[in-house]
Amino acid sequence: MAHRFGSLFAIAAMLALAACVTPPYQPLPPSAPGSPGSGASGGGQPGQAEAATPLPTPPPVPSPIPAPKAHRLSVATGALVTQARGATAKGDFDAAAATLERALRIEPDNPLVWIEMGRMRLASGDAAQAENMGRRALALAAGAPREQSNAWRLIADALRARGRNVAAQEAMQRAEALTTP
Amino acid sequence: MKARTRKLLRRAAIAAGVLAAAALLAFAVALFYYDRQVARQFEGRRWTLPAKVYAAPLELYAGLPFSPDDLIAELTRLHYREATELTRPGTYRRRRGRFEIAVRAARFADEERPARIVAVTIEGGTIAGLRDAKNAGIPIFRLDPLLIGSIFPIHGEDRIVLTPEEVPPLLPAAIKAVEDRKFATHHGVDTAAIARALWVNLRAGKVEQGGSTLTQQLVKSYFLDGRRTLGRKLEEAMMALALEARYDKRDLMTAYINEIYLGQQGDRAIHGFGLASQFWFGKPLEELDLPEIALLVAIVRGPPYYDPRRFPERARKRRDLVLRILAQQKVVTEAEAAVAAAKPLGVAPRPSGGYYPAYLDFVRQTLRRDYKEEDLTEAGLSVFTSFDPRAQLAAERALEGELARLDRSRKPPAGKAGLEGAAVVTLPQSGEVVALVGGRNVSFDGFNRALAGARPIGSLVKPFVYLAAIETGRWNATSVLDDTPIEVPLSKGRIWRPQNFSRDWNGPVSMVRALSESLNLATVHLGLDVGVPKVAQLFTRFGLETAPPPLPSLLLGAVELPPLGVAQLYNGLANGGFHVPLRAVRTVVNARGERIGAYPVKIAPVAAPDAVYQVDRMMTYVISRGTGRAAAARLPRGLVVAGKTGSSSDLRDGWFAGFSGSHLAVVWIGYDDNRPTGVTGSSGSLIVWQKIMSALDTSSWQPPMPESLEDMAIDYPSGLRVTTGCSQDEVIVAVPRGTQTPFMAGCAPPSGIVDWLRGIMR
Repeated sequence: MAHRFGSLFAIAAMLALAACVTPPYQPLPPSAPGSPGSGASGGGQPGQAEAATPLPTPPPVPSPIPAPKAHRLSVATGALVTQARGATAKGDFDAAAATLERALRIEPDNPLVWIEMGRMRLASGDAAQAENMGRRALALAAGAPREQSNAWRLIADALRARGRNVAAQEAMQRAEALTTP
Repeated sequence: MKARTRKLLRRAAIAAGVLAAAALLAFAVALFYYDRQVARQFEGRRWTLPAKVYAAPLELYAGLPFSPDDLIAELTRLHYREATELTRPGTYRRRRGRFEIAVRAARFADEERPARIVAVTIEGGTIAGLRDAKNAGIPIFRLDPLLIGSIFPIHGEDRIVLTPEEVPPLLPAAIKAVEDRKFATHHGVDTAAIARALWVNLRAGKVEQGGSTLTQQLVKSYFLDGRRTLGRKLEEAMMALALEARYDKRDLMTAYINEIYLGQQGDRAIHGFGLASQFWFGKPLEELDLPEIALLVAIVRGPPYYDPRRFPERARKRRDLVLRILAQQKVVTEAEAAVAAAKPLGVAPRPSGGYYPAYLDFVRQTLRRDYKEEDLTEAGLSVFTSFDPRAQLAAERALEGELARLDRSRKPPAGKAGLEGAAVVTLPQSGEVVALVGGRNVSFDGFNRALAGARPIGSLVKPFVYLAAIETGRWNATSVLDDTPIEVPLSKGRIWRPQNFSRDWNGPVSMVRALSESLNLATVHLGLDVGVPKVAQLFTRFGLETAPPPLPSLLLGAVELPPLGVAQLYNGLANGGFHVPLRAVRTVVNARGERIGAYPVKIAPVAAPDAVYQVDRMMTYVISRGTGRAAAARLPRGLVVAGKTGSSSDLRDGWFAGFSGSHLAVVWIGYDDNRPTGVTGSSGSLIVWQKIMSALDTSSWQPPMPESLEDMAIDYPSGLRVTTGCSQDEVIVAVPRGTQTPFMAGCAPPSGIVDWLRGIMR
């Protein structure tokens, strides 16, 4: 995460060094952080005036809206998910949970595993956990619309199972919005 | 005259007959009584089994980073032996990177697996593939779960129960030769042996020799206390007769092998040869050779007296005597006995037998909520846990090593105990505790500092102050905080004047710097502005039972928590704002193999994922450039981790808590009597933490950034925005999209620079 000087920036850096003399300390009023960041008005330096005006070019700071990610299960976790589905179908939810937790230990950050766990919990009647697992999957699926959509579907089904139809409807709309291009 | 004599004789005969009948009746009644008692106890005993506790089995699958050495270490831990032919389970053979393993049958939480053969191919430090005996691919396979201990009753009897098939034939032969030569033929009591012993004892004027048969020894161990009175002896003999009448010799020998007392470790009494083998030699009974078996048989006579760790000379003398008897009795040859007598005792330096009291303590705590004590200590339950022997070993070694180093450099005063420590390692996403060290002496079943050692957490509280601030939406990582002296009025007119660790202050600082360098003044200013109650509430939201009182001193960590409590708090940070209760037990299975209890993962959102992400990202700078930077260079290259140091006033407690993508570890170091240590959180506990993380196969902290956030490069000291490469002190923080932060002078984007240059030129 730490970035070093790039040789491309050597000139800019030298200019910056000349300009970036640490300003003399000025205490800030306690209310300064009122709006994030704006409190840093060190006052009067030339470079800062530009910040307020719209910039002609996007800042070169990495601000990625990356290509949609897609998650998949590894061969090992895929086999475990299949095994767990078998146990769920037989109503053996404890066995299914134990098997899915093996998958979770191998791929703890894979939203698909959490969605699978949530589906199993929903089948076992634990809609509250199903919803929470859907929300966990949603957080892990940042940047991956297909998985986010599936997570919202799980959340919608879990909410409906608890009779919260309006919230379920909203969740379903979010799910659909993510899959329609 | 004759008639009178005859009459007298007849009366005497009748009297004798009545007496004899009465005696016979009494004997019969007694025998019946003892028989009933013996039967009940014996049958009960056969099924009185402490719950066995198992570690998480190691999962093998293609793609897992795993070297041949790792696999051999794991197989050795599970007592697999290398062999040329795979004739029985528990063996393996190797040809370069290809292993063929004859895996034992095993019971798991979710399935029962028969013994089978599996081939594992390792290429370039990674598992390339798994195949079964028919050469078909297997997607995933687990090794046997390691037995890590058992839950024995308060009076302390621990044992591993063996079946006759699991006992090497040499053992019963040796026991008979030394303890009871006529075992095969007597009916429970050996009158000749008793007479001999009586004679010896009478001549000596005290009890010197016992004439007890194995059956009598068994009875004594089952039912009676150690007193040697005539009444006891009679009772014992009656019971031995009753036992012999009811059971065959094989059953009695098996019972003896599983029952007899063979060692002591604190409150834990080692019973039976199965556990004794683990306790004294660190390996299973079936792997012992002649001198080792002879030593165990020698110990039978008096485990404290012949303790081979405390009295090696005494134990050796008796072992060699046992070997001579075995040769005399033709159990082994003279030559074998001579070779064996030349061998050292071979005792493991410290009690092993996969005994992890600190972790078991945590397991017991969970189970006692849901099970009766008798169920745990008698019902033969199997408890499957998330314990990871590799992580535990890493944590124990790291802690022991660093404490020994610190003690050498700062010798504790005479009569004072050395430094102590504790550590907890979890898998944050599932809340599973994989390792737990309760103190320096890891095999001591005593005060468990990881569970019960509540200590002030110091600066470990700070991420929660910053989280509370970010949650308000009024602050972010680029916000400028006020690191200047402050006076906080308390009750009764007192005034609190907190100080930075350096006793200095820095004026305006960026939030990311204030957290990384653990600046107290900036944190107090911020926390008072945010509101202390908001910080206090986070403790209960993140899973603790009670919130600390919302006093200003909370902002600098004036709240006492044990390492496990800290782990629970930090687990929520490591898990993206989701709370999962920390747990050790996964599943409980009864003696018939049925699942009777499950503790599945439970999850609850407790903080906005984007707020937690911003705090976590700032915590990575604690390691890369803040108070934790001493660890940065020693961690595996490229591993991104986040954490926080903590220390209490006068350095009485040194903490480090932090996480990677797949593990969370919390380390505490201090003295039990709470005197200052002179060790800051960034030396002792930080080093232990770094060593634990380096030893684990762990992955970088790199969750996907919430879509509501964006990266922003800022100047680390001032928090001003920069273009990449402009500031020599640049960090990249996560901020809410659209955050307006002024650029640092000269560090605006190119067009800005041009404008600015134009401004100067003009």
